[in-house]
Amino acid sequence: MRRHRVVRATIVIVVAAAAILSIGAAFGRQSGPPPRQVAVRAASGPAASADPIVRAQERLRLVPRDWRTWAGLAVAYLERGRTTADPSYYPKADEAVRRSLALRPDDNADASVARGALANARHDFAAARRDALAATRLNAYGANAYAVLADAETQLGRPADATAAVQRLLDLRPGLSAYARGSYDLEQRGALAAATDLMRRALDAAMSPSDIAFCRGQLGDLAWLAGDLSGAAEQYAAGLGADPHAVSLLRGRARVAAASGRLDAAIADYADVTRRSPTVGYLLEYARLLRTAGRTREAAEQLALANDAQRLFVANGGVDGLTAAELAIEAGRPSDAVAAARAEWARRRHADVADILGWALHLAARDGEALRYARLAGARGALSATYAYHVGMIELSLGQRRAARADLERALRRNPAFSPIDAPAARRALAGLGGAR
Amino acid sequence: MSTTASRGRRRRRAPAAIAVAAALAGALYGFAPIDAGASSHREAPLTAADPAVDNTDLYAFVSKDRPGYVNFVANWIPFEEPNGGPNFYPFATDASYYINVDNNGDARPDARFRWTFRTQDRRGTGTFLYNNGPVTSLDDENLLVRQIYTLESSFNGAPFKTRISGAPVAPSRTGRASMPDYGKLRDQAVVQLPGGWKIFAGQADDPFFLDLRVFDLLYGGDLSETGQDTLAGYNVNTIVLQVPFKDVALGGDAARNPVIGVWTTTDRPRVRITGGGSYGGQVQVSRLGNPLVNEVVVPNGLKDAFNASSPDRDAKNPTLVKRVTEPEVPKLIQAIYGIPAPATPRNDLAEIFLTGITTKAGGPIKADVNSQLNNADVSAAGFVPSEQLRLNLGVPIAGQPNRLGVLGGDLQGFPNGRRLTDDVVDIELQALVGAAQTGKLIDALAAGDKVDANDQAFGAAFPYVAPPNGAGVNTAGSGSAAGSGAGGMGGFGGATQPAPSTSDKPSAEAPAPSLTPAGYAGNTDSGQVPMAVAVSAVGAAGVLALALLFLIGWWRRRSRPAPITPGSTDETLQL
Repeated sequence: MRRHRVVRATIVIVVAAAAILSIGAAFGRQSGPPPRQVAVRAASGPAASADPIVRAQERLRLVPRDWRTWAGLAVAYLERGRTTADPSYYPKADEAVRRSLALRPDDNADASVARGALANARHDFAAARRDALAATRLNAYGANAYAVLADAETQLGRPADATAAVQRLLDLRPGLSAYARGSYDLEQRGALAAATDLMRRALDAAMSPSDIAFCRGQLGDLAWLAGDLSGAAEQYAAGLGADPHAVSLLRGRARVAAASGRLDAAIADYADVTRRSPTVGYLLEYARLLRTAGRTREAAEQLALANDAQRLFVANGGVDGLTAAELAIEAGRPSDAVAAARAEWARRRHADVADILGWALHLAARDGEALRYARLAGARGALSATYAYHVGMIELSLGQRRAARADLERALRRNPAFSPIDAPAARRALAGLGGAR
Repeated sequence: MSTTASRGRRRRRAPAAIAVAAALAGALYGFAPIDAGASSHREAPLTAADPAVDNTDLYAFVSKDRPGYVNFVANWIPFEEPNGGPNFYPFATDASYYINVDNNGDARPDARFRWTFRTQDRRGTGTFLYNNGPVTSLDDENLLVRQIYTLESSFNGAPFKTRISGAPVAPSRTGRASMPDYGKLRDQAVVQLPGGWKIFAGQADDPFFLDLRVFDLLYGGDLSETGQDTLAGYNVNTIVLQVPFKDVALGGDAARNPVIGVWTTTDRPRVRITGGGSYGGQVQVSRLGNPLVNEVVVPNGLKDAFNASSPDRDAKNPTLVKRVTEPEVPKLIQAIYGIPAPATPRNDLAEIFLTGITTKAGGPIKADVNSQLNNADVSAAGFVPSEQLRLNLGVPIAGQPNRLGVLGGDLQGFPNGRRLTDDVVDIELQALVGAAQTGKLIDALAAGDKVDANDQAFGAAFPYVAPPNGAGVNTAGSGSAAGSGAGGMGGFGGATQPAPSTSDKPSAEAPAPSLTPAGYAGNTDSGQVPMAVAVSAVGAAGVLALALLFLIGWWRRRSRPAPITPGSTDETLQL
């Protein structure tokens, strides 16, 4: 308990420190010590001058009124925030966008794009959509606007508009950014082979270590979705070769290790992941893994940290009902989970939200309504084993044994190791139904 | 609605967060930043630039070491850092790189050259280094990652034919220990093809030179703080192609039709994610002809459309034409320097960027330099104005290339093609304030960006570009291979300068420039003689004729006089 409080206090302090650093460093080189993770990356990543942040800062030192480069700097900060999973770059991006808009308040598509990308990063997808649409009105040929729009439409659960934006992006500027979004769009429709093909193209187009790591991570996740654990492991290893600090790849590797029964390796990786990137989602996964390994006290600690991280996110103005619902489910508060998921569903109709809302309703013993949402999650064809598992368990609860058997079998067929907790549960349920056929 | 509310909350809470942070500030430095991020949704890269496909510069020139041949140099991936670790800068393997030539002025390519690259990666899983020991040749086993390419060509719309496949790319220079004799690797990457072609692809010193602060002009700043080549020391990926005039000239006859227009494009395959996820076709993602067009002529809002468009649509794009004929930069310069912006529409700029300098299109520049309209076999009816880098292959050699090109009285330089030494920043600045139509350089802008030459000397022979820098940026080029160590502001006239040359006649060495040409007599101090130039190679005998009358008082005051190259005097044609 005592240790737990210390850890919590450390989080609060370090968040405050990060805030300070980011406020000070928004204007670059001279005005504050860079965040430590930047230094780490500089040793392994591109040389300083190839660093787009340094490039933009250098240009702004020479051409300080270049509003396009201010917007470019914002995007570079967001990219660094994405690749390092470090949102202390977001306030810097925010400030850079403001500088761009102060220099050119109107007709500034670049700033609109950057502001939209920032809104996406902060999960304010509706605002992101508005900014992206504004940017497309100013510059119908600007590819990045369609990338931001595609991300927003996807997360808002407007699949037709999302696909149209991705296609426009592909038509304007085929390349890593477009291929990756096209791949995700296909994946959500269940076209895993086409999604993998396109992500391979993205990998071909990737030049920077972080981009290579991203594509490898996605290829690993696609292999994982299809239950190909060794294929996934290969991709994660290759990606970590390009960028040894890529958190999403460490997480992927840990997930494969857990599924392969190597819980200690998985726990070690998750400890690393959550130390580098203590996001709610990772902490929550870590907690579940520890629980699976029977280390309940540590699991409770990580869960408490996850709750703290969520509170901080909300205190900073963030809105994420999806994560709130997952936390409530984990804490055994299904009615809170339903409320959070419902609120998120009102904001955006993404498949992930439907899935969690359905599962929360199930846990709250409202299976009739639960089934409707759980089925919605897979309605577009997404081949998620978890979605199928949730549907199957709800059907089972409703006494729809035949449908339950089919869906549970589907879950295990897609990926027999989809979750160290849920996959065994699916097997037990099937055994209770008289065994898999 | 929730968005507005959450934004409001964010703002209200910010002061409190800052106060807490400030209170703790002293004790906290050194903690790794920790985030308050949400669970990540799928976040894909969003890059502002796509340097592997965004063409940065195009050059087109004739060099005296091989008369009768034209050189094209095209560059991608700027700001390659030679120092700071083993960096490898590949050409994109999912793209097609093109050099396009229009010789009849219809704004469509008549000759196309296509490069496609492949990466050979022999690293396996053991290492992520690009070489595991000294690399002494391009097929050295220690070179673990290399690129090869295929060059194809298409003429007059015929299908592409492969000229070579498996040609080696000169690797990124990873350091003296790794590549003790880089010059050898580079030599091995120079390939001769049947038909007299020479090709090179690989890393080179970025030949572009400028002080980026010149762009402060675009944002209302002045040029008080310039003079540093902000590209010095950086490398770039370059493609160099040398072909005989006859392969690119209209009808194969560079005597009758010496003018060509050139631009590069980069394509990637089109991808459909709807309707079954089919593939097919290409998407043009980059286009470049004249230098700085993306920065100066088609800035905000139009750049992306321009990069996606083809030259034959330029004249139908009123926004683009207006950007040329009613440019913004002269107004900005007027505001800062009090130099009156020339009256619009700026048909002189239309000549420079859209038609070529010619008297045949009714423009204000009284000269015939580099429009396809001046080709004997081009019909005016089929001519379509478009943005291209136009080069008159028949312009005689400039013994002393003038960095200001045509504006400096050296007709062999930009905007007649572009040599590696041409100071396109200063030339375009002067052109924008009207120097091409008045024949008078603007003194207040005389220094331009104060960067007059590249930091590395260029080669006198193919591939002309300086070898890649081996030392860190802003240090002396001590680690460079032969030709790159000269450094400094060697500028024009240097011994290793590519002395651009001319003429169809292989033996014709241009005469040394006269320092006191007849045309200058009595006018040297006026500084204001309208440019009256005619360059043409039209004539039954195919003899090149040239008359030049172009005085620039400023130029004569601060430097040697502009070279004048008399042609066969009685063949002068005023078109």
